[in-house]
Amino acid sequence: MKRVNAVAWNTFREAVRDRILYNLVFFALLMMASAIFLGQISLGIETVVLVSLGLSAVSVIGLLIAVFTGVGLVSKEIDKRTLYALLSKPVRRWEFLVGKFAGLVLTLTVNTAAMAAGLILSLLFVKHTLERGDAVVLVAVYFILLKISIVIALALLFSCFTSQLLSILFTAGLYVAGLFVTEMRNLSGSRLAPAMQTLFSWISYVLPNFENFNIMAAAAHGKAVPAALILQNTAYAVLYCGIVLASATVVFSRRNLK
Amino acid sequence: MNNRKSIAVLLLAVLPVGFAGIWRLQHAIDGQLQSIHEEQDEVLLRSGKMMKLLSLEYAPLMADIYWTRVVQYYGSKSERREQNLDSLWPLLDLATTLDPNLMPAYRFGSTFLAEARAVGAGRPDLAIQLLERGIRENPEQWRLYQDLGNVYYFSLRDNQRASEAYLEGSKVPGAAPWMKLMAARILERGDTRQTSRLLWSEIYQSAQDPTIKENAKTHLLLLNADEDREQLNLLVEEFAKKVGHPAASVRDLIEAGMLRGQPADPDGFPYVIGKSGKAEFSPNSPLYKLEPLYRRF
Repeated sequence: MKRVNAVAWNTFREAVRDRILYNLVFFALLMMASAIFLGQISLGIETVVLVSLGLSAVSVIGLLIAVFTGVGLVSKEIDKRTLYALLSKPVRRWEFLVGKFAGLVLTLTVNTAAMAAGLILSLLFVKHTLERGDAVVLVAVYFILLKISIVIALALLFSCFTSQLLSILFTAGLYVAGLFVTEMRNLSGSRLAPAMQTLFSWISYVLPNFENFNIMAAAAHGKAVPAALILQNTAYAVLYCGIVLASATVVFSRRNLK
Repeated sequence: MNNRKSIAVLLLAVLPVGFAGIWRLQHAIDGQLQSIHEEQDEVLLRSGKMMKLLSLEYAPLMADIYWTRVVQYYGSKSERREQNLDSLWPLLDLATTLDPNLMPAYRFGSTFLAEARAVGAGRPDLAIQLLERGIRENPEQWRLYQDLGNVYYFSLRDNQRASEAYLEGSKVPGAAPWMKLMAARILERGDTRQTSRLLWSEIYQSAQDPTIKENAKTHLLLLNADEDREQLNLLVEEFAKKVGHPAASVRDLIEAGMLRGQPADPDGFPYVIGKSGKAEFSPNSPLYKLEPLYRRF
């Protein structure tokens, strides 16, 4: 655990040193400023526009960092040959992977928290007060973070066996596919052969269902989210990340690094 | 753990157990998401013009995506027999603003909008708005005039406007010759079962979409059943005059020699004499449930 923590902390420090992170946070704050402007020129939906745009910005920026940084977690270490020095120390390959994953999740947690704070401040600026219902915005941000964690795990898995470019394509492709899982499961029976319907249904359970984490509309309208959903989504993200990281560990442990 | 062992553990334990857990969790999450479903139906960005700007050069692609969303939205709602189709119009509005030449969105969309609630959105006014926009953007499409005439005739029972729409459509080069005949027929004879049958038959034959085809077929079956029940009701009246008391069942008519066998509805279920003393569908017949949803002349 100590070794995992050390890798995670170093990954976090390395990411924080990367200026892109600061630029993206600045971008998020800029988006929120635009949201305030958009809210003022719209009629009656200032809060809705602000929350929708703010959460979209948090999600897009988080995803960009997760994909572009996630795919470089392993390949960058191999390219720079720092991995060899690291693995010559008493660090197991799975510890290295889990540490890298935890480090980037930590980075994005900090990053997302900063953006969430910006969003809440913007909300306070527009509404002049915060209500209990506004807590749903924080739940929505938490769900975005869970979603991002799965994306990091996927990016890490792909970076274990393929190039950075392909990893980006695979991760982005899987992310887009994961947004249509519900549609895939509910495809109308009259247009598809039953065998295809069953196949799609199976695939829909294997693909990560990112729609589970989309409560943006509920947050924009201040509608309460059941506590059970928060627990279930957390369990879903933890389990899915566990599966992907276990697969990544097996792939990485078989990789010939010579 | 050596490599082979770790692969075996991954394939035989981690993946099956993990995805079984995912499967269970997904069902639980689906249940929870149902409770905030209403909000998810909402279309946040309703301005077609703004959407067109944001879509850059990909507006037609976005229109296709919105149209696909309309189909999925309508399909899932009608499967659950949900009456709230409030997002249908904004979605169609967006799809047709993004791509003004998207014919399926006008043609099928107007049907979804115009049909009575439980089958459609029950908003013929919006269907007309959509079709008028379609005609403005695609004046060469005579089928849009036909659809407009259908909405006026079936949903609003406005024979004058229905006739005008068919007549206008008949002037478009390449329009079917029956458009002019239909315009004259509706104006002359008005709202008759024969006219309805002609229109639904034409919709049934020309429809490519299975949902629209099925809809037209149900309307045609109900029209046939209307005719059957009208005939049966005449016999019931005749029986009452002859015997002095109303017929309690169809069997009474058979025993009185007025019918040669048990008459059945288009789905093969025998008609029954209801409490009102009139011929009705058997409660077991699929048409019994469909009739209140589709009730049009």
